[in-house]
Amino acid sequence: MALAVRVRDLWKSFRSGWFWGARNEVLRGIELDIEERRIFGILGPNGAGKTTFLSILSTLLLPDRGQINVLGMNVLKQGNRIRERINISSGNANFLWSLTVRENLTFYAMLYGLGWRDRKKKVDEVIALFELGNHEGTPFDKLSTGMKQRLALAKSMLNNPEILFLDEPTVGLDPQISLKIRDQIREIQQERGITIVLTTHNMAEAEYLCDRIAFLKAGEILTVGTAHELKRSIRLGDIITIDYVGDLYSIRMEQLPGVIDFSLSDGRCQFVVDSATKRMGTILQGLWGAGVSVTEVKTSQTNLEEVFLEFAK
Amino acid sequence: MSLRSEWTKILAFLFKNLIITKGNIFSLFEILFWPTVGLLSVGLLAKYLQLSPDMMAFILVGVISMSVVQVCQIDIAYVLLYDVWGKCVKHEFIAPINSVHLILGSWLIGIFRSGIILILLVFFSSQAFGFDFLKPGINALIVFLVSLFLTSALVGITVCILVLIFGHKAEVAAWSLVSLMLLVCGIYYPISMLPGPIMAVAKFVPLTYFLEYFRSFYGFSSDLSGFLVKGYGLALVYLGLAWIGLDLVIRNAKRTGILITLSE
Repeated sequence: MALAVRVRDLWKSFRSGWFWGARNEVLRGIELDIEERRIFGILGPNGAGKTTFLSILSTLLLPDRGQINVLGMNVLKQGNRIRERINISSGNANFLWSLTVRENLTFYAMLYGLGWRDRKKKVDEVIALFELGNHEGTPFDKLSTGMKQRLALAKSMLNNPEILFLDEPTVGLDPQISLKIRDQIREIQQERGITIVLTTHNMAEAEYLCDRIAFLKAGEILTVGTAHELKRSIRLGDIITIDYVGDLYSIRMEQLPGVIDFSLSDGRCQFVVDSATKRMGTILQGLWGAGVSVTEVKTSQTNLEEVFLEFAK
Repeated sequence: MSLRSEWTKILAFLFKNLIITKGNIFSLFEILFWPTVGLLSVGLLAKYLQLSPDMMAFILVGVISMSVVQVCQIDIAYVLLYDVWGKCVKHEFIAPINSVHLILGSWLIGIFRSGIILILLVFFSSQAFGFDFLKPGINALIVFLVSLFLTSALVGITVCILVLIFGHKAEVAAWSLVSLMLLVCGIYYPISMLPGPIMAVAKFVPLTYFLEYFRSFYGFSSDLSGFLVKGYGLALVYLGLAWIGLDLVIRNAKRTGILITLSE
């Protein structure tokens, strides 16, 4: 699959104060490939450098050094051409306070050079897409937080971007609206086949939306993979807890395929496996084969939060 | 990149400034109220001091010119300041636009608004003080107005540069830079009144020459010469430098992260 973003040896620092201020390194030698038509998550604690990274990819910031290609173009040399094909939306969205939803969208549509007819069509389309119709005449500062966020997403779709950068898209929203926004992000990606790169420190969001996730900590990418791969990489997987009657001490259950970890206490054993559905049959057969009778089986999943906490240590 | 889409991008900034003003009665005050109050108060003072019609003309040319420059340049400054106040600077810079769109769009609306102000002030000064602003004739008037609009662009771009370097702290420049010119360029007095070093500075300010040029039609002599060549020459050189400076400052803002900071 073609790459939407290719980053090699990216470094970025900021100076605190003027010429004599100390340099604070925010990104340190980032290397990352992001495939087209996927949702890619950048996960990390506050201050990890997520927003800085996204800002560089979206040409709002210049790197100190490194090779950054977005849609096959160099961010340093072809910024304007890249900007025609990308867009960004941030949490805690801000827009011109006295302009209505429609006026704001019209203004930003004009910045993409859309003529009157195309502009009206596009603005109508994104207003409908994000269900802003009842608020199109409302000034930005009178909108609810959820509506402001929808406006930010609507604005980011004005130029039919091939890559959409979302910086903490649901930060500050209540759970119900967050779910709605997540669904909308997913729908957009599926319907239009665009690449979405989002930053978040919300595990549920990353797990729900992202095909692949990178963990960023103190300016470095610690690991990249699917949510499943990440859980496995730190030996976290699905958990099968079985209550039993019989003797299990003589059996080497940890040697069964797919078992990452195994622990045993009186009358209860616990398996950490790569996939509970895949391995349940083999485990139960192993237990029955050993003459153990199973009284209760429970399964639970490791959530990404645990992975995050492990990496954030 | 079609010419039409480039023109639309320029018009976007005209649209923005226009629509914000439309929704804000105080913006209208700023554009209409203060210039009118300025003209009337200075005119009445001049009348009270029983200045001759010539001296009255000298001062009123200065007041009207200053109002035109102030109203036109503030639109250019506002194109960035509105976004700074709205904490949405980055939305514009994520779009495929450049400094030309930004400045030209806001300059056009500035010209439009200061044109309205000019008409009003010319009318008031004629009615209240019997002053004929059109005396130099249409050609001289056009040359003078273009010079004022160029001066406005210069001041407006300088404000934008300062805002992109210093952020919120530089907002005050939008109002104070013009006041500084008021002091140096001889708005209310001939520059020969200025102390030596300041007079030397005045000779490097294009507006000084433009004012002298226009006042010459009212019979005022000047120690300066080559008004238009020097004035336009300086204005165009400064404008070129300011434009290059603005592009450099935008690039620097992307290096320092001030575009992001101004959006938070």
